[in-house]
Amino acid sequence: MVRTYRPQSFQEALEIKKGAPVITIAGGTDLMVKRRRSTGLSPYFEVPAMFIAHLGEIKGVRFDGGNIRIGAACSFAVLLQNEATPPILKTAVSRIASPAVRNMGTIGGNICNASPAGDTLPVLYARDASVVLKSIDQERILKISEFITAPGETVLREDELLKEIVIPEKPFDVNFYRKVGTGMTNTISKITFTGIAEILNGMVKDIRITFGAVAPTVVRSRVNEERLIGHSGKEIEKMIPEISSLYSALINPIDDQRSNAFYRRSVSLRLLGHFLRALPGC
Amino acid sequence: MKISFVLNGRDVLLDTDPLRRLLDVLRDEFNLTGVKEGCGEGECGACSVLVNDKIMYSCILPVGSVDGSRVLTIEGYRETERYKVLQEAFTEAGSVQCGFCTPGFIMAAEALLSEDASPDEKSIREAISGNLCRCTGYSMIVDGIKIASRKGRGLW
Amino acid sequence: MKEKVDRSINRIDAPEKTGGYAEYIADMKFEGMLYAKTLRSEKPRAVIKSIDIPLLPEGCYVVDKNDIPGKNRVKMLLDDQPFFAEDIVNYIGEPILLVVGPDREQVAQVLSNIRVLYEEMEPVFTIVDAVKCDKASIYGEDNCFSGYEIIRGDPDRAFREAAEAIEGEYRTGLQEHIYLEPQGVIGVYENERVTVYGSMQCPYYIKTALVQGFGWDEERIRVVQTTTGGAFGGKEEYTSIIAGHAAFAAVKTGRPVRLIFDRAEDIICTTKRHPSIIKIKTALDKNRKITAMEVEITLDGGAYAGLSPVVLQRAMFAATGVYNIPNIKVKGRVFATNNVPSGAMRGFGGPQAFFAIEMHMQSLAESISRDPLDFKMENMLSKGDLTVTGGVLRYEVKLPQMIDLVEKMSGYRRKYEAFINDRGEVPKGIGLSIFYHGCAFTGSGEKEKIRARVKLKKRKDGKVLILVASVEMGQGSSTTLRKIVARAMDLPVEDVIYENPDTDIVPDSGPTVASRTVMIVGFLLKKAAERLKAGGEKAADFKVTEACEGPAELEVTEEYEEPGYIKWGHEKFEGDAYPTYSWGVNVVEVEVDPVTFVIKVNGIWGVYDIGTIIDERIIRGQMEGGIAQGLGYAAFEVMNTDCGNILQPSLADYIIPNSKEFPEMEIRLIDNPYEYGPFGAKGAGELPFIGAAPALASAVQNALKVPIKRLPVTPEYLLKVAEGEK
Repeated sequence: MVRTYRPQSFQEALEIKKGAPVITIAGGTDLMVKRRRSTGLSPYFEVPAMFIAHLGEIKGVRFDGGNIRIGAACSFAVLLQNEATPPILKTAVSRIASPAVRNMGTIGGNICNASPAGDTLPVLYARDASVVLKSIDQERILKISEFITAPGETVLREDELLKEIVIPEKPFDVNFYRKVGTGMTNTISKITFTGIAEILNGMVKDIRITFGAVAPTVVRSRVNEERLIGHSGKEIEKMIPEISSLYSALINPIDDQRSNAFYRRSVSLRLLGHFLRALPGC
Repeated sequence: MKISFVLNGRDVLLDTDPLRRLLDVLRDEFNLTGVKEGCGEGECGACSVLVNDKIMYSCILPVGSVDGSRVLTIEGYRETERYKVLQEAFTEAGSVQCGFCTPGFIMAAEALLSEDASPDEKSIREAISGNLCRCTGYSMIVDGIKIASRKGRGLW
Repeated sequence: MKEKVDRSINRIDAPEKTGGYAEYIADMKFEGMLYAKTLRSEKPRAVIKSIDIPLLPEGCYVVDKNDIPGKNRVKMLLDDQPFFAEDIVNYIGEPILLVVGPDREQVAQVLSNIRVLYEEMEPVFTIVDAVKCDKASIYGEDNCFSGYEIIRGDPDRAFREAAEAIEGEYRTGLQEHIYLEPQGVIGVYENERVTVYGSMQCPYYIKTALVQGFGWDEERIRVVQTTTGGAFGGKEEYTSIIAGHAAFAAVKTGRPVRLIFDRAEDIICTTKRHPSIIKIKTALDKNRKITAMEVEITLDGGAYAGLSPVVLQRAMFAATGVYNIPNIKVKGRVFATNNVPSGAMRGFGGPQAFFAIEMHMQSLAESISRDPLDFKMENMLSKGDLTVTGGVLRYEVKLPQMIDLVEKMSGYRRKYEAFINDRGEVPKGIGLSIFYHGCAFTGSGEKEKIRARVKLKKRKDGKVLILVASVEMGQGSSTTLRKIVARAMDLPVEDVIYENPDTDIVPDSGPTVASRTVMIVGFLLKKAAERLKAGGEKAADFKVTEACEGPAELEVTEEYEEPGYIKWGHEKFEGDAYPTYSWGVNVVEVEVDPVTFVIKVNGIWGVYDIGTIIDERIIRGQMEGGIAQGLGYAAFEVMNTDCGNILQPSLADYIIPNSKEFPEMEIRLIDNPYEYGPFGAKGAGELPFIGAAPALASAVQNALKVPIKRLPVTPEYLLKVAEGEK
């Protein structure tokens, strides 16, 4: 049996983090599954564990000077209910697991877990979200794409905790999110696709495209997006083959127990084409 | 670690490994065997309990995280008027076959009805979507919840 | 006037299950109980060179092949499967030994410190490789557990003279039962007798298996069923293995031993539905009438035979579906591979065969520009026609009325036409399947293999006790059987008592399988009830449980008698393969996402002939549940193996239907009483499963205009098929 901590404040949590390596448990919905053993046995933890989901300071969602700030321990269910949550994030969250898991699981957990199939990630990448990392000594703010480096890996230091997620407030005219999985509930994504766009006078003013579960980390390319900016829907329709091959070079799916690489690649590009064709003016 | 919570309306205090699954604590320490283990990984819902009125899977919930919370299992809930209505409705609708999933569905139904006393079919199907049943094909469980919502008017 | 028998009553077991009062095996505690965990083979095929067991802590035991006093073979058809591996393992997950102890943590520790040294052998994983047999054979000389052939008429000549012959090959995959309650048993040894409590379908199968394993008199063995959280065939033959394990361990340790699986362990090592490859070739004359059909069925039986020969027989007896084919050749073989053993599952070979024949008939009709339903109906069996095995259909076949009714409910014909010509953005389709299920055991099995016995006892207070080995596993038999007896005796149903079977008390009325419980056991109970009502015999006092002990007054025993008309030659598979048949027509409507190929089911309609309905609500539950399980099989229950490893050993990756998957179903039942069923009832439980997959696959074929030849119909498969068409 390892030691466990249940700090009374975020500050105390940081102090514990400073002292020794601990595994942070927020909702526990991933950790408790990954580390499970058989009936009647505690899950396996090789170092002490620390509970943080009860810390009120990191549970809220709020508007703050042009940004939406989401506490790391904010549960999916709270995100769904809060007015400040961007609608496309709500769409993604509403397809996560099941009502029970949405009551337990947190956005911070989804990010720190850094699964290629994490369902909030493609939306957060598309919305240029940043993460606020706190240690007792300092605070860092990183773009989410800099934070997650590989499946299950982040640049979170041993003495740091993810405190909040910051999403720039910005309205998009087109908000398209698709999760492809087996079944309607409690399904791990085979592919997620997010496409959002700002349209001005029939032209694409801004566009963001992300793919989840088809590469070690979420796929997004600002260079490719910029090719589309300034074009009308009609023009973009003609560009689809070219844009598809650019993204095809970036996605790198695998065969696994849920799907295969051929399907993931083809359907990712089909979703891309579907999204681009549906842009206004097409 | 000492953990205290309110279990089925009673204060309980225990000294145990806070990483233990709430499911094991409920079944082994409190003999609350109406909480079932169907998968042990948060997929089937047979172990569903309410924590502060929200449905959760006790098989992936470390007991340390319910410190200071209210936990309701089927054993506590079955003493209520609302349960009686649900139980009768489930019988009337044929919602029960092998029964292994049923207490979990009852908890999911309570979580739903306490937020929405007259849910439509879509909300019902959403609310029970984290509970698996291999016997019924679900429609007869949906019917049970509809009947309870109608007959239990005023209770929720 | 009496009210109709089909009027629903409240299920007797609903309140105790709903409230969490019902005791399943994992809820039972015994004084001094020990926990057992199984050491399993990590290799698909290997010789065990040595097993290195660490020093055991006080109170901990290892139980293995040396602790089996009798024969180390699980009593089944071919007796090839050991309780515990001897010197060879044949699949990943095969049990080698148990670690038993008072503390679960300690048991886990010991288990993780045991080292097995394997010498690997070349494994066989696919049907194709098993047939080839170019590695050391797993079973016999050619890997073939069983092979049979049925010939009726002169198929060779019909093919020689045919104007054209149309072929298709159909493949189906594994399916896992996912009963919500994982497998579990507790063994207890007291006063020189061993008792096994557990979640099960067949108390007497287990008793027989234990008699052989122990080599003891049967008086020393007792099996008690506990509330069973679903089974679907998964707790038919498999449970005998773990019952043996717990019993051997209880005898060795002298303490109660609990052996209950976690879900992952359950998925990895319990039986599955047989994967199949089915080839069908149909001969047409110049008027495009069917003159002959040749069907070749090959099943993957996994590492041990289990019930594979009988599953194969059932698949063969369904090979030509509901069609009247003058000349038939059916060849069936089931092969050994180094995969987890395949076994009994709802439908028992029928679902594979009906998927193949229904898809074949649809594709055949479409390829000769005929309307599939018209074409099917022209060739459909009716009363007086012969089955695959040449048995006469003695009772009315109401398929035409049933098709009419399902057509009215679903608008099938209009939609089929509309969808086949539709080139809209979202492909839509509708499919219809026609099928049957042979009720009860194959051929003369009810007479020769089982010879079911039932007993009724009447107490002085007027209550009547049902004593049968048939279990309640969710399907409603505890209510249905009581209803049959109550109705036959004019008693209120509350006065009829049924308790979970205990082999010390109930006679052997056979296993709870094969859609036989109501039709066979229920019919015997009805006859017994009528005799009891008329007088019965004097009975001794008895004690079942505290709740229903009491001075008895009368009792009646009834034994199965085969209806005189059944003629069966088992050597050549000639005659009546089943006492009678239940029939079904299933329609499914779908749309296929044009971008992702994900299937959405928009409508489900079913019409069934199960004779007379004993309880409408219970039957609706059986039909809807069976369809849902069948649609899961059809659309998304993917189970793959990689070198003998199951790739989806969890409910996170093996996805079964949830509440949002399917719309409300519309079910109708038509009355067609069977004279040897209670009040006219026939078998029901397996039937609805069978039609679901072909109905869904036909709908997808209608939507995408490409032949569907595989189950499950995954988006990955559809993408491949659609890309191939371009």
